[in-house]
Amino acid sequence: MKWATRAGIHIDRAACAWLIRRFVDTDAEFVFVTDPAAVPADATPFDMRGVELGHHHGDCSFETILRRYDLTADPALKRIAEIVHEADLDDERFDAPEAPGLDVVLRGLSMIGDDEHTMAVTNPVFDGLYEYYRRATLLGREPA
Amino acid sequence: MTDDEQPPPAPPVSPGQWVLLSYRLPREPSTPRITVWRKLKRLGVAQISDGLIALPADARTREQLEWIAEEVTDFGGTATLWIAQPAALAEERKLAQAMADARSAEYEQVRAQAEQARHQPDDERQRTLRRLRAELRRINRRDYFPPPQRRTAEAAVAALHPANTTPASEEHPA
Repeated sequence: MKWATRAGIHIDRAACAWLIRRFVDTDAEFVFVTDPAAVPADATPFDMRGVELGHHHGDCSFETILRRYDLTADPALKRIAEIVHEADLDDERFDAPEAPGLDVVLRGLSMIGDDEHTMAVTNPVFDGLYEYYRRATLLGREPA
Repeated sequence: MTDDEQPPPAPPVSPGQWVLLSYRLPREPSTPRITVWRKLKRLGVAQISDGLIALPADARTREQLEWIAEEVTDFGGTATLWIAQPAALAEERKLAQAMADARSAEYEQVRAQAEQARHQPDDERQRTLRRLRAELRRINRRDYFPPPQRRTAEAAVAALHPANTTPASEEHPA
């Protein structure tokens, strides 16, 4: 399936793309557009104004996608959602000290490469975060 | 001179780009109006007139205002986002100065609180340090035209840490 989002991806879009490919559509193909009108007809748009998979009711797009695809029961994904929310919106709804660090890493990445490059770097980062919080859930404490 | 040595920024010769949000929300219920206004305040926007606010345009400010526009629409209001340029440099300076003044008042408050906390007992001072650091971070994020008070406030807060208040010889006796 084709998925489309705005070019110049940052934390929320990078995390959404990872989430989509890993949990929603393993064959996902991403299109980055500069204008909402350029979204291909056969693509599902996300993290864009006026679409279902965007910011709604104070949630970021990552949280919206979790809800839309019934992924909210996974505690590791929920934790990543809190971090992405704080990195993206910084409204102090969650306690996520990881957020400001991840936020600057993503900002820096967007300065040195294109969206494909950012995703190539961030996909393993989110895989690692997912594994970390999965183990943390199993252990009931921070893993070593 | 190598490529990565940048000359000091020259004073702007023409006004820069600003992102403007023009919005309207129903009078009642008042909760959405308050929610939206709090979010705008948190972003440190300049209010140009009722229902018209501005921020210097960059990828981030534009996105933040796009999402607020979306929220206004979700609340049943109307919102339009504009990229605009003040017609005169003086207009832009006035806008920037008002924003810098608002931030400098916030930094001053933090500095005053930090100075008052200097003689608090250790654990209380640590708590104040954490609280004021969080407050500084919030102010920094909405500070687009940093006033000199920023450095002063940061120094006053940093001085609350024991390693920055106690001389090294007392902290680690030989």
